[in-house]
Amino acid sequence: MAANPMSQFKVYRIGPEIKFGNIDLSFTNASLFMLISAFTICLFLYFSSKQKSIIPSRLQLISEIFYNFIAKMISDTAGSKAKPYFPFIFTLFMFILLCNMIGMLPYSFTVTSHIIVTLIMALFIFAAVTIIGFVKHGFKYLSIFVPKGVPVVLLPLITIIEIISYLSRPVSLSVRLFANMMAGHTMLKVFGSFVISLGLLGGWLPLSFSVALTGLEILVAFLQAYVFAILTCIYLNDALNLHH
Amino acid sequence: MKLKVPLVILIFWFETILFAAEAGMPQLDSKYWLSQSFWLILIFVILYLSISKFFIPKIKDNLDDREKKIKENLDKAKEFSELADKKNLDYENEISKAKKEVIKIITESKKQLDKSISQKKEGFEKELEKEIKKAENEIANLKKNSSESVKILAEEISEKIIENLTGEKLNNSSIKASVNEISKNKMSKYL
Repeated sequence: MAANPMSQFKVYRIGPEIKFGNIDLSFTNASLFMLISAFTICLFLYFSSKQKSIIPSRLQLISEIFYNFIAKMISDTAGSKAKPYFPFIFTLFMFILLCNMIGMLPYSFTVTSHIIVTLIMALFIFAAVTIIGFVKHGFKYLSIFVPKGVPVVLLPLITIIEIISYLSRPVSLSVRLFANMMAGHTMLKVFGSFVISLGLLGGWLPLSFSVALTGLEILVAFLQAYVFAILTCIYLNDALNLHH
Repeated sequence: MKLKVPLVILIFWFETILFAAEAGMPQLDSKYWLSQSFWLILIFVILYLSISKFFIPKIKDNLDDREKKIKENLDKAKEFSELADKKNLDYENEISKAKKEVIKIITESKKQLDKSISQKKEGFEKELEKEIKKAENEIANLKKNSSESVKILAEEISEKIIENLTGEKLNNSSIKASVNEISKNKMSKYL
């Protein structure tokens, strides 16, 4: 059935099959849209930083707004110690934002609606934050699992809960983005197919819903990129400034 | 609550991995997972390197340049405004000085003028007095002279009138005496 709302998430190979032994690394539509997103970011940043004018042009102003937005986000949540990680957060935010936004175009593919993509990013962030924490604080970093001011009786329980919540960070981080994108796009598709099936007479209601949902999804696309970036900052803050 | 949500999601996730791929969630089809991870890491690393090495320094440079330039311009503006203030103060000082000088000059010239006016007035008054005295003297002389000449004239006229009326000549001294007497009484009335 063509109107299957999940068929938009299907990954298929583009071009030749690339295989190393049993490992299939073929170029797929997901890879294509990752490439398009990255290329769009580079193009945008290239043209926006090409001319250095004191009074910025519109494009330059947009890139500077992004720059200041992310710089402020990092300094607000993680302090000045997180400055070396600014390029990573910037890249992360821009990449997720562009993947989400390009996914909003009809007939395109949403890279971030795949759990494996978001999980890889979340796992990388989790591993990096843990390594940074141990490098900066040594074994004292383990005190993140022991909150201050907790009664001694409750301490073992709280510590177990803290450990589980710490370990579930990559899962919640990745699932949040993936589930949001998948649910939104599925809903759009469902309402889109309602428009077709209800025809010229009854299709107007789902169509107006579709329009509203598109607006909502654009908001969600931005919001989820922001949430992903700010949670990364918060995790980074835990690793850099051990205050528990 | 914080614990529950991820746990539920985790259970849901493992269950769906087992059963959902056939049920129609292409995300859970593991066929292209490695490919997606590989391309994601590759593209992300390239994007990260190009952004951190190339684009962010450019944007940062531009922002710093602008801040520097604005600061420079502000400093310059401050300098200029200080200079303007100084110039303005100098100018005001000069003006107040000039005003003082003008007042001085005015009062001095006024004094001089007053002095010369009073001097001239004095001289003028003196001259006037002199002139008045002279005129008074003249008038007094004239009065004296005129009374004498009036007397003589009156004598002559009265002699002639008497002669014409009576036809005889009167004694000169008697006429003189009567004229003198009359004039003594009446002269002061007319002169």
